[in-house]
Amino acid sequence: MMTRRRQLIATACVALGGLVAAAPGLAADEISPDDWLVKMASAVQTTNYEGTVIRLQNGRSDTLKVVHVVTDGVIREKVVVQEGDGLEIIRNGNEVHCILPDKQTVRVEEWNDQSTLFSSLPSTDIQFGSEYDVSIVREERVAGRKAVLLAIRPHDHYRYGHRIWLDIATGFPLQTKLMRDDGEAIEQVKFADITLDEEIHASALTPSTSIENFRWFTQPQRKINRSVDSPWNSVELPSGFAVMSTHEEDLPGRDMPVVHILYSDGLANVSVFIEPANGKKFARRSRVGASNSYSVEYGGYQVTAVGEVPAATVEKIATSMQPN
Amino acid sequence: MNDAIKTQISAFVDGELPQNEAELLLRRLCQDVELRNQAAEYLAMGRAMRGERAIAGMSMLRERVSAAIDDKELQEEFAESEVAAPRFMRSLAGVAIAATVALAALVGLQQMSDVPDVETVQGGEAVAGAADDSYTVPEPEYDLLSDYYNSHDASSSHIGFDSITPRLITYEIRDGRVVEIELTDVPAESDEQDVENAETSPADTL
Repeated sequence: MMTRRRQLIATACVALGGLVAAAPGLAADEISPDDWLVKMASAVQTTNYEGTVIRLQNGRSDTLKVVHVVTDGVIREKVVVQEGDGLEIIRNGNEVHCILPDKQTVRVEEWNDQSTLFSSLPSTDIQFGSEYDVSIVREERVAGRKAVLLAIRPHDHYRYGHRIWLDIATGFPLQTKLMRDDGEAIEQVKFADITLDEEIHASALTPSTSIENFRWFTQPQRKINRSVDSPWNSVELPSGFAVMSTHEEDLPGRDMPVVHILYSDGLANVSVFIEPANGKKFARRSRVGASNSYSVEYGGYQVTAVGEVPAATVEKIATSMQPN
Repeated sequence: MNDAIKTQISAFVDGELPQNEAELLLRRLCQDVELRNQAAEYLAMGRAMRGERAIAGMSMLRERVSAAIDDKELQEEFAESEVAAPRFMRSLAGVAIAATVALAALVGLQQMSDVPDVETVQGGEAVAGAADDSYTVPEPEYDLLSDYYNSHDASSSHIGFDSITPRLITYEIRDGRVVEIELTDVPAESDEQDVENAETSPADTL
């Protein structure tokens, strides 16, 4: 059901993206906000780019050199952190090598998703309207290119707002901001310079230094077992959130599979993990970047909600989980 | 040991496994003792049946093996898996090395032995440099939560566009050095206010 729906939306994306792209004479505000999001979705999936990204988060800034190439749907990407130890992340499809040159170490991870540089970009599979408003704010310049600023504002405190600066020529996101309800930016990702859809040589995606004699370590692969029916559900879910999937998952260090219920309002996602407590110690509240978690023990089970939503949201969801 | 691994090992021994796949296979064998033992048995059986002497896939490993031959642990592992060592290999290494898989194990052990402080994380994999502040292995309670964050991130991306950024968060920069994941413990009172006020309209100041 979900897959079919996404296929239809993906098809619509391509079609509408083509229409929007085929109307270069239109001013930015003559294109609807929803069409800009469609155009962005298409651009992110298909655009090759190379540039310098500045990420601002928790009062710190990181500068990253990024190369991104999509060939026949396979993402190849190289991200080099410009400060510190010179971390390089090189992705070829699902296989990701995290290279720490100073440590002469390569960590191999497998990503089974279609991640891109940007966090929390809205997909077109969003039921906008009930929980968010989308509007065009103004035109600005970002990375030397003309951009249109879109604002996605939530109606309540249970989710973050978004600001997205889209390249007017291509729809590619040049800057994103994740916003708290007090107007403060939680996370910003911004291109300082960028080239779009120019030929990128294969050598740009290779490690910057020889890793021939580096030590290699492999991260345990995450395994999703199967979809399951779970007796657990939230009895007080924030409005707009609905169950997207429920499955059992093997995680490292556990004897038993963990039940993983994924909720979404179409833009913000919250995962709830349920496993026997068995004396495990969890921080009640934690935060990683823009993501928060809240853990509570209920009836011998450890219930933990995690998501890129305000702390209040994960707490509300975690504490409202009950078995039927 | 599943058929895919057997096929890979066979291809490797035959010198037909692409180098990048060969490297991945070696790394996996280096980190999985049980698989290594199974593979050694499998290789020994296959070689005995074919009456083979040479191991084509080993040529690319000779230099690394040569560097490893002084490792006693390596030699012991070799001895356990030894079946019929080709003579030229004995002359090459100075010890009898029977199976390519054993070589892989040896190389892996040699690599591991270089690590000043190896710490096993949940799931049995190894990470390096735990003794170095610039590459911090999370505390156990955070490991459990880190799994949740990673799992959530991967699952979310199936719904919409997700990011490399959450992954980058696992490599924060502290004082000019890359530090592995650091979860921030949030004081209890910091979000009480949000809960109380959650039904009021947000002040969007853009």
